[in-house]
Amino acid sequence: MASVIQRLKAYWRTFSRPSRHLSMGFLTVGGFVTGIIFWGGFNTALEATNTEVFCTVCHEMRDNVFAELKTTIHYSNRSGVRATCPDCHVPHDWTDKIARKMQASKEVWGHIFGTIDTRDKFQQKRLELAKHEWARLKANDSLECRNCHSEVSMDFTRQSMRAVEAHQRELVPGNKTCIDCHKGIAHQLPDMSGVEGW
Amino acid sequence: MKRSTFFIAAMFVAGTTLAQSASDEIATLRHYTLGDEPEPPRIADIIDSDERRARIHPMQPPTIPHKIDNYQVDLRANRCLSCHSRTRVEESQAPMVSVTHYTDRDGIVLAEVSPRRYFCTQCHAAQTDAKPLVQNTFQDVADMLGADAASQ
Amino acid sequence: MKITRRAFVKATAAANAAAVAGISLPASAANIVTDRARTELKWSKAPCRFCGTGCGVEVAVKNGKVVATLGDPQAEVNRGLNCIKGYFLSKIMYGADRLTTPLLRMRDGEYHKDGEFTPVSWDTAFDVMAEKFKAALREKGPTSVGMFGSGQWTVWEGYAASKLFKAGFRSNNIDPNARHCMASSVAGFIRTFGIDEPMGCYDDMEHADAFVLWGSNMAEMHPILWTRITDRRLSHPHVKVAVLSTFEHRSFDLADLPMIFKPQTDLAILNYIANYIIETGRVNSDFVDKHANFKRGAIDIGYGLRPEHPLEQKAAGRERAGAAEPMTFEEFAEFVSAYDADTVSELSGVPRNRLEALAELYADPDTKVMSLWTMGFNQHTRGTWCSNLAYNLHLLTGKIATPGNSPFSLTGQPSACGTAREVGTFSHRLPADLVVTNEAHRKTAERIWKLPPGTIPAEPGYHAVLQDRMLKDGKLNAYWVMCNNNMQAGPNVNEERLPGYRNPENFIVVSDAYPTVTTQAADLILPTAMWVEKEGAYGNAERRTQFWHQLVDAPGEAKSDLWQIMEFAKRITTDDAWPADLLEANPDYKGRTLYELLFRNGHVDRFALDEIDPGYENVEAKAAGFYVQKGLFEEYAEFGRGHGHDLAPFDTYHAVRGLRWPVVDGKETRWRFREGSDPYVEPGSGYQFYGHEDNRAVIFALPYEPPAESPDDDYDLWLVTGRVLEHWHTGSMTQRVPELYRAFPDAVVFMHPDDAMARGLRRGDDVFIESRRGRTRTRVETRGRNKVPAGVVFVPFFDASQLINKSTLDATDPISKQTDFKKCAVRILKASEVTA
Repeated sequence: MASVIQRLKAYWRTFSRPSRHLSMGFLTVGGFVTGIIFWGGFNTALEATNTEVFCTVCHEMRDNVFAELKTTIHYSNRSGVRATCPDCHVPHDWTDKIARKMQASKEVWGHIFGTIDTRDKFQQKRLELAKHEWARLKANDSLECRNCHSEVSMDFTRQSMRAVEAHQRELVPGNKTCIDCHKGIAHQLPDMSGVEGW
Repeated sequence: MKRSTFFIAAMFVAGTTLAQSASDEIATLRHYTLGDEPEPPRIADIIDSDERRARIHPMQPPTIPHKIDNYQVDLRANRCLSCHSRTRVEESQAPMVSVTHYTDRDGIVLAEVSPRRYFCTQCHAAQTDAKPLVQNTFQDVADMLGADAASQ
Repeated sequence: MKITRRAFVKATAAANAAAVAGISLPASAANIVTDRARTELKWSKAPCRFCGTGCGVEVAVKNGKVVATLGDPQAEVNRGLNCIKGYFLSKIMYGADRLTTPLLRMRDGEYHKDGEFTPVSWDTAFDVMAEKFKAALREKGPTSVGMFGSGQWTVWEGYAASKLFKAGFRSNNIDPNARHCMASSVAGFIRTFGIDEPMGCYDDMEHADAFVLWGSNMAEMHPILWTRITDRRLSHPHVKVAVLSTFEHRSFDLADLPMIFKPQTDLAILNYIANYIIETGRVNSDFVDKHANFKRGAIDIGYGLRPEHPLEQKAAGRERAGAAEPMTFEEFAEFVSAYDADTVSELSGVPRNRLEALAELYADPDTKVMSLWTMGFNQHTRGTWCSNLAYNLHLLTGKIATPGNSPFSLTGQPSACGTAREVGTFSHRLPADLVVTNEAHRKTAERIWKLPPGTIPAEPGYHAVLQDRMLKDGKLNAYWVMCNNNMQAGPNVNEERLPGYRNPENFIVVSDAYPTVTTQAADLILPTAMWVEKEGAYGNAERRTQFWHQLVDAPGEAKSDLWQIMEFAKRITTDDAWPADLLEANPDYKGRTLYELLFRNGHVDRFALDEIDPGYENVEAKAAGFYVQKGLFEEYAEFGRGHGHDLAPFDTYHAVRGLRWPVVDGKETRWRFREGSDPYVEPGSGYQFYGHEDNRAVIFALPYEPPAESPDDDYDLWLVTGRVLEHWHTGSMTQRVPELYRAFPDAVVFMHPDDAMARGLRRGDDVFIESRRGRTRTRVETRGRNKVPAGVVFVPFFDASQLINKSTLDATDPISKQTDFKKCAVRILKASEVTA
């Protein structure tokens, strides 16, 4: 027992004052490597949460928004390029991503306490949840839309007439951003009474 | 005179059909024996041209000249009205719903589209590029007027 | 830029659109009216040709052609609205392939079962037909001839056909396609109330606080009634809409309370609600004590399959399917107590909270409830029970026969009520709810028809599915199919129908306006006038009788069903059809044609041609030499006048937008069985369910019983069949309207995306949908209007190239004899992987 305590003390000394016991070079290189390992681990773990598989582990996602996505063009389409949950809902920029992830802790809380564990509850909460996403996309000028749908790359001759007109009138001059008109394209809409433009 | 001409034409059509084909081709919407299971046509594409179409008579609800895939029209939202309602057409440049849509069952004009007209697809449908299996000989009244005028 | 583009588009759009639509625009699009007389149209009223809603339309005629229709603003039913089908009515008669001459299968100049269809004259057609009918009568007697008619027949066509078979041929083998459509509702009404058809009317839709759809996709199948419910729901925020179905469809768009239940478990849900009403103390005891009886129905009643089928052999209650014994309220309460929320939620898959919310709509005394159903209930091996159990809920709470409190059976065909039910063209019925099995009823019919006693046979004839079986078995040999497309619409095509039609012993006549798959299987095809090419009358789902005039002529040699029935009746004499003993006892009837006997009886022929509105043509009347429609109608009306089925005088109906029977002292009846609104209810009684002698309705104890066939390892999916908004039934009219065709051109199988993925399938894949009975080739649809749950597929039956009824099972409700088209087991195989 005593020997165990002795050994722990030794470890602690090394750990609390590393430069006394190890060379600076070792510490620098070692720290760097450890940092990479930890950082990589963190990032890997983070990215693991950025997959559709992870998102749809919870039935709240699987039975509501994911089920709805399946019948839309963002799930299945001509070219097979499809959007997964994080493509639209997780910012690609690191700082924003971390901020969004911190928000997500609330969603874990919601899952544990069953905030939207039935379809009825989800529907009741839907407007609030949708509003968060609309606000985020409005604030970042529909960044996650534009990650795939670049206005510059749009060939207007390949679009329907009304799309061309709307895009030329509103999108190109920057009067509107994607989410202003394209609400509810990947999931069902909440009760839209009172929402601008509806 | 007109009727007998039509009759002869109809007989001719029937006659040639029979001459060309076995009795199993009598069903013009089928063209296969009842035992056959023909390869079904591919799922037809919705015409998304946005081009307005002539109506067969003034009271016909216009067909929808664009895709309406996943358009939500339910208790929570009406995607069609988000472009076609009176207050939205300036921004959307879509045709406004007809004025008839503002009257209720008793003919009273309401401030908004009457709820009885809420579900657009009860009267309006998009059109696919499928080719009709049989022709329709419906005559446009304008053709009749034109023919009358020509014969006078 | 924008302007230029728009201008360009406009210039080309019209031409493009016209080209696509197949319309040739007039060369000179005259936009100046120079002569009022030239642009005038003749407008006349008519009911819509399609569903049982019975919308009124105004029809415009110019140069002998229908050129436009509009929703009749004066029609109570629809007040100016139509659905998409209704707006295109003007095109339904103008498919380029209208049948214009009789066609007989011939080889070497004479009839041959395997010959090619050859144009013949009406005389030749009737000669051959008469020979075949006479031969059958001679060799096997009256049960060897039969007819399959229609809920799309006009009132007088159905009446004339019924007379021809039940009285003329002395065969009760006449049944309408309405057997496939609402026979279970009929049986439900007769069992619970003793009298057919709803007590309420469409006005209930403007009064109800809650609507419950039990197996009815009204948004697509009864769109105009759906507009009335939508109007009510969206105009009055307190109103609730509950929708129950085995898959999600367009009616769910208005649902406050959406519920997907496992097939067949609606029976359990209905019993659960009854249990809830009792357990929460909300039974209207006063009403129940005065106006209801309780009965325990026979159980384990089988599935209406052939008697040798193992399921029938096993069914202990098969011989007494419709039987019931009296019971007490306490016994009833005990019976339904087994259907508690947890049990039923588990069985049905509907969450408990939704079941409770649904039950509360019925239980709450302050909520006026309208229950609506169509094929989800009717096409069900326990369809009669479903009706009975729905009435239970309204009777237990006394929510019935008052505005907004209304159990309401909707019909699928324009005159399912008016013709099939009221005229009684079923194999067991006579007009005005009379039945062939009742001697007094037969005597009434024989008296009105001026026939000797014993003319009408007492044995019910072959019902729809039984006709198919008897054709196949060679017992029914001369068969006339009129105004329907049963080869496409009926169940189990391969095993039970096609063999009978092509059985060399049989002669099959099919009357239709268009060549259908049924004509394809026929031996003789008779070209038929349709809709406003004849004078007609329809009766809709709210007991409303509506008339129309002949507005245009039929093409070529096409003739109405009525003309065909009467002309054919001229070819058969009583000597051909009646037995010697009946003729010996009534020598006056010897040697008379059935035409003379049935239509020149001094009764039907009593109205002269000058009574016809001079503004309209009437081909049949002119051919007969008397106002035949009026004569038939007035004779028919004698059955019901003074017996709760009163119809107004013939001429009244040409003037009004329909009236709801009973029409007593010129007044229609909106709510039956209630004092003050129904003239048949005695003062002081409050309510009288006068269909039963004790004036009481019956509350039935009936259990959940499983369906005839359920998915298993080999056939792992439920198949549900049905309709889509743009097509009506088998599509023989709507598939010929280009705009409707292009809206939904071909049938598809609606599948859950996960079910598709699990089978390696994707949207658009070419697949076989296969049951133990047959298979159909179609394409996979994982999107679109119907969202089926995993384990269920839906296929519409409008497509003549995709006969989904090759897969369906001919299991019927043993009481109503109506087929269950909503439940059978299938599997889906990729076409490329099937070795043919």
